[in-house]
Amino acid sequence: MEKITYIGEHLWAGTVGNAFVYLSLISALVSTLAYYFYSKETLTSEWKRFARISFSIHSVSVIGIAATLFYMLFNHMYEYSYVWQHSNNSMPMEYIMSCFWEGQEGSFLLWTFWNVVLGNILFRTVDSKWEAPTMAVFSLVQVFLASMLLGITISDFSLGTNPFILLRENPDFANLPFVQNPEYLAKLDGRGLNPLLMNYWMTIHPPTLFLGFASTLPPFAFALAGLWKRDFTSWQKPALTWTFFSIMILGTGILMGGAWAYEALSFGGFWAWDPVENSSLVPWLLIVAAGHVMIINKNKGGSLFMTHLLSISSFLLVLYSTFLTRSGILGNSSVHAFTDLGMQGQLVIYVITFIFICVALLIHDKLFRVSYVMVSLLMLAFAVFYGYKKAIMMIWLGGSFGITIFSYMKYFPKEEEEESLYSREFWMFIGSLVLLLSALIITYFTSIPVLNKLFNLEKAPVKVPEYNIWQTPFAIATLILIAITQFFKYKKTDPKTFFRQFRISLLLSVVFGITCVVPLYFLNGYSTAKTLDKWNLISYALLFISGLFAVFANGEYALRILKGKLRHAGSSIAHIGFAFILMGALISTSKKQTISQNTSKKNVEGLGENFNAKKSLLLTKGDTLPLGKYMVTYKGKKREGIDVYFNMDYFERDAKGDLKRNEKGEAVKAFELSPMVQDNPKMGKASNPDTKHFLSHDIYTHITYANLSDDADLKKDAYKEPTNFIGHMGDTIFAENAIILIDSITTNLNEEEFAKSDSLLVVTAVLKATDINGTVYRATPQYILKNNMIMPDQYELKELGLKFVFWKINPNEGSIEIQMSEKVSNAKDFVVLEAYMFPYINVLWLGCIIMIIGTVIAIRERRRLNKRIKPSME
Amino acid sequence: MKKLHIVGIIVIAVAIGVIFTSLQSNASYSDFAEASRNPETEYHVVGKLNKSVPVQYDPKINADECSFLMTDNKGLERRVVLHKSVPQDMEKSEQIVLIGKMQGQEFHANEILMKCPSKYNDGKPQVKA
Repeated sequence: MEKITYIGEHLWAGTVGNAFVYLSLISALVSTLAYYFYSKETLTSEWKRFARISFSIHSVSVIGIAATLFYMLFNHMYEYSYVWQHSNNSMPMEYIMSCFWEGQEGSFLLWTFWNVVLGNILFRTVDSKWEAPTMAVFSLVQVFLASMLLGITISDFSLGTNPFILLRENPDFANLPFVQNPEYLAKLDGRGLNPLLMNYWMTIHPPTLFLGFASTLPPFAFALAGLWKRDFTSWQKPALTWTFFSIMILGTGILMGGAWAYEALSFGGFWAWDPVENSSLVPWLLIVAAGHVMIINKNKGGSLFMTHLLSISSFLLVLYSTFLTRSGILGNSSVHAFTDLGMQGQLVIYVITFIFICVALLIHDKLFRVSYVMVSLLMLAFAVFYGYKKAIMMIWLGGSFGITIFSYMKYFPKEEEEESLYSREFWMFIGSLVLLLSALIITYFTSIPVLNKLFNLEKAPVKVPEYNIWQTPFAIATLILIAITQFFKYKKTDPKTFFRQFRISLLLSVVFGITCVVPLYFLNGYSTAKTLDKWNLISYALLFISGLFAVFANGEYALRILKGKLRHAGSSIAHIGFAFILMGALISTSKKQTISQNTSKKNVEGLGENFNAKKSLLLTKGDTLPLGKYMVTYKGKKREGIDVYFNMDYFERDAKGDLKRNEKGEAVKAFELSPMVQDNPKMGKASNPDTKHFLSHDIYTHITYANLSDDADLKKDAYKEPTNFIGHMGDTIFAENAIILIDSITTNLNEEEFAKSDSLLVVTAVLKATDINGTVYRATPQYILKNNMIMPDQYELKELGLKFVFWKINPNEGSIEIQMSEKVSNAKDFVVLEAYMFPYINVLWLGCIIMIIGTVIAIRERRRLNKRIKPSME
Repeated sequence: MKKLHIVGIIVIAVAIGVIFTSLQSNASYSDFAEASRNPETEYHVVGKLNKSVPVQYDPKINADECSFLMTDNKGLERRVVLHKSVPQDMEKSEQIVLIGKMQGQEFHANEILMKCPSKYNDGKPQVKA
C-alpha cells in the first residue's frame, strides 16, 4: 500500500503523550522495586532517595499524560480517537473537563492522578518506618493502573486502551473512506460529549468519586504493609486519618451521584440499587467498618484481623467494582456501565493478582508461603495452556479463602480475656460485622451476572424491592448500634448506669416515633395489605424509630457527656447525619407518591398490582388537569438547540378541588416547571426531569412521551387523510378535538315512497359533536341517491375543522359509513408525563451535609491528637 | 471470645440464608414458551423488537399501555403488551428484556430494559465532501 501523507496532523502530541505513558509505567515499576529494596535495608539507605525520585518521575509523567490529553482536547486535535470521540467544535469550553473523563481511558487517568496526589502526600507525611512498605504497595498499584493506558494487544488479550491512538488507526474505523483521504482533518468535527453529561454534575461528581476510590488505597497500603512487616498494630494510627478521609470523600462522591440521578436523570429517585451505584457503596461500607475497628484497636487493642480484612477488602472491592462496571459483564442489568473495551481478561487478572498478593502476605510460614505461590503459579500456567479457566479460578479462590481463615486462626494474636458484653469495643465490633454482612449481601446481589457467567446460570438481576427488604434490617441494626454504643465505656461498663444514660433519648424516640409512624404506615391500607407488605411496613416503622433514637441519643451524648464541645462531637454529628440520611431515604421512598393519575378507564388489575401502575398523565396543550394538590397546564414547548423544554404551569386548587381563583377571577399560579427532553441526533432522546423544591417535599415531573417537532412545521389549514367509520345510531366517533354522536338518521322519503320513486333519495345523518368545552355542534352530512347514482356530498363543520362524507348505507347490518377528515391543526400538541411527590427528601440532603461536616470535624480532631502526641508528623 | 463465636455463627447463618432464599426465587431469564407453561410466574424474557410492525401507542386510550411484537431468543414471536408509556427510542433498541407474565398468546410486561449500544457509541468519522 502506498504511504499517504496526511495534512494537518499533530503527530508530535501523541508521541509526547505516549512517551509519558511509558515513562509513567517504567518509573512506577522502578519505584516499586526501589521501595521494595529500601524496605529490606536500613532506613537511611540510598534506596530511599532513588525510590522517591522514581515516584516523583512517575508523578510528573502522570501529570504529563493528563496535560497532553488536555492540550489535545483544547486544540480540537481530532486526529486522535479520544478527542474525536469525546469532544467537538460546538462544545462549550467549560465541559472540557467532562470530555477528559467521559471515556474509560480518561477516567483511569483521573484515578491514577489522584493516587499520585495521595502518594505524594503519604510519603512526605508518613513515619519513615512505614514509607517503604506502603509506597511499595502504592507504586505497584500505579504499575497496574499505568498499564491500563498502554493499549497493546497480544493475540486476543488486550492490555489497556491508549488515549493517544490516532483516529485513522482505530480498528473500528479502519475501512472507512476518510482513512484514504490525506486532507480528512480539514473538514472533520468530533463526535462530541454525550449531551446527557453536559451539566455541572459531570464536572464535580467523577473527580470526587475517583478521589474516593483513590482514598481507599492508603488504608490498603498500610494494612498490606502491616502484614508484610509482621507489625499488625503500629500502622493503624497513621492509617486512621486516611481511613476517615476516605469515609468522607467516598461518601460525598456516592451521595453526589445520588443527587445527580435525582436532579438530572429520569430514574424517578436518587438511588436505584444499580450495579454502578452498589459497587461504590460497598467499598464505602467496608471502609466505614474498617475505620471503626481501627478505633477499637487504638483505644483498647485487639481486633487485628478485622482491621486488616476490612481495610484490604475495601480496596479489593474498588478493584472488583472496576471490573464489574468496565468489563461489560453487567450487560443488560445496568443502565450506565461503560461500554466493553475488551478488557475483561485484564481486569480479572488485576483483581486476582491483588487477592494473591494479600493472601501470600498473610501466610507467616515461609515454606507454606512459597508453596502457595508455586501452586498458584502452576494453576495459572495450567489455566493458560489447558483451559478450564473458570473451574481453576474457583478452586483457587476457595483455597485462598481457606488459607485466609487458617492464617487468622494461626498467625493473629488472640485476646486472652473475653470481651465484656457491656463494653464499647464489643458493640462497635458487632456494628462493623453488620456493615460487613450488609456489604457482602449487596455484593452478592450485584454479582449475579458474574455468577451466571461462572456457573452458566440464567438468574435475573435482583430487583429494587428485594434490595430494600434485605437491607432494611441491617439499617435498623446499624442505627440502634449507633445510638447505644457510645454510652458504653471501653472494657467494662456498669449495666445500671449504662441503661440510665440514654433512657430520655429512648423514651423520646419511642413516643415521638410512634406518633409519627402510626399515621405514616399504619392508618391507611395496613389492615388490607398482604403479609409481606405488612412486614415491610413494620420494618419501615422500626427503621424510623431507630433513626430517631440514633439522632436523639447522639445529640444527648454530644450535649451531656461531651458537654457540647464541638471539637469532640465529630462522631456524634456524623452519626446524626447518617441517621438523617437513612430516615430521609426511608420517608421519601416509602411515602413517594405518584401524583400523575392516568384517567383511562381501562383496568388491568387482574394481572396483579405491578401491572396497574396508571401513572402516565396525558396532558393536551391548553388543558388543565388535576395533579395532586395542583392543577397543571401544558403551555407549550420551546426548543433550545437540541433541548426541548416543555413549559408547565402549576395552579393552586381550592377546597372543592377546582382551580383556585383570586378576587379578580384569575387562577392562582403556584409555580412553573420545565421538564426537558434532549433530542440528540446521535445518542437518542433523553428525558430530564424538573423539580420544584419545597421545605417539606419536592414535586418532581418528567416527560415520558412527547412530540419534539415544532408546531410551526405543521400546515395549519390542511386536512388529514379521511378515516372511515362504520356505525349505528347512538354510536360515537372520536375526533382529536370532539366526541361525535350519531344522533339520528332522517330521510326525505319513507320506505313506501322510496319503493315507488327512484328519482331522489336523501338520507341525512344528524351528528352531534361535543368539543372539550362542552359546546355542541350539529353536522348533517347527506347521503344522496339520484337515479341510482350516489352524489358526492361533503359537510364541513368549520368551527371544529371537521369534514364528513356520508357515503354508504348497509341496510342488512343496519349501519352507515361515514368518512371523517380532520384539520391538521386539530391535532393538539400533547405530552405524557409522570409526576411524583417526594416527602421530606430534604432530610436526606441535610443528613448528607451534617455527616460530611461531622466527619471533617472528626478528622481534624484526629490530626490534632496525632500531632500532640508526635509533633514530628509533618 | 465465646460470644464472638456465636456472633460469627449468626453471620454465617444469615449469609447462607440469603444465598438460599435468592436461589429459591424464580426470577430467571427465560423465553415465551416457558412463560406460557407457567402463566402465574413472572419471567425476564430477552428478545428483539420486530421493527417491521409499528409499536402501537395511543395515549388517548391509555397512556400506560403500548404494544409491539417481540421475537425471543428461541425465535418465537409474541405480541407484548407493556403496561407503561412507550419507552423513548424503542425502535432503535438492539435487544430488550421484558419482565412480566404470559396471558394466553400475549405477554404482559410491567418493566422493560433496552439495550441500545448505539446510545453511547454511535457515529463514525465522516468527512464532508
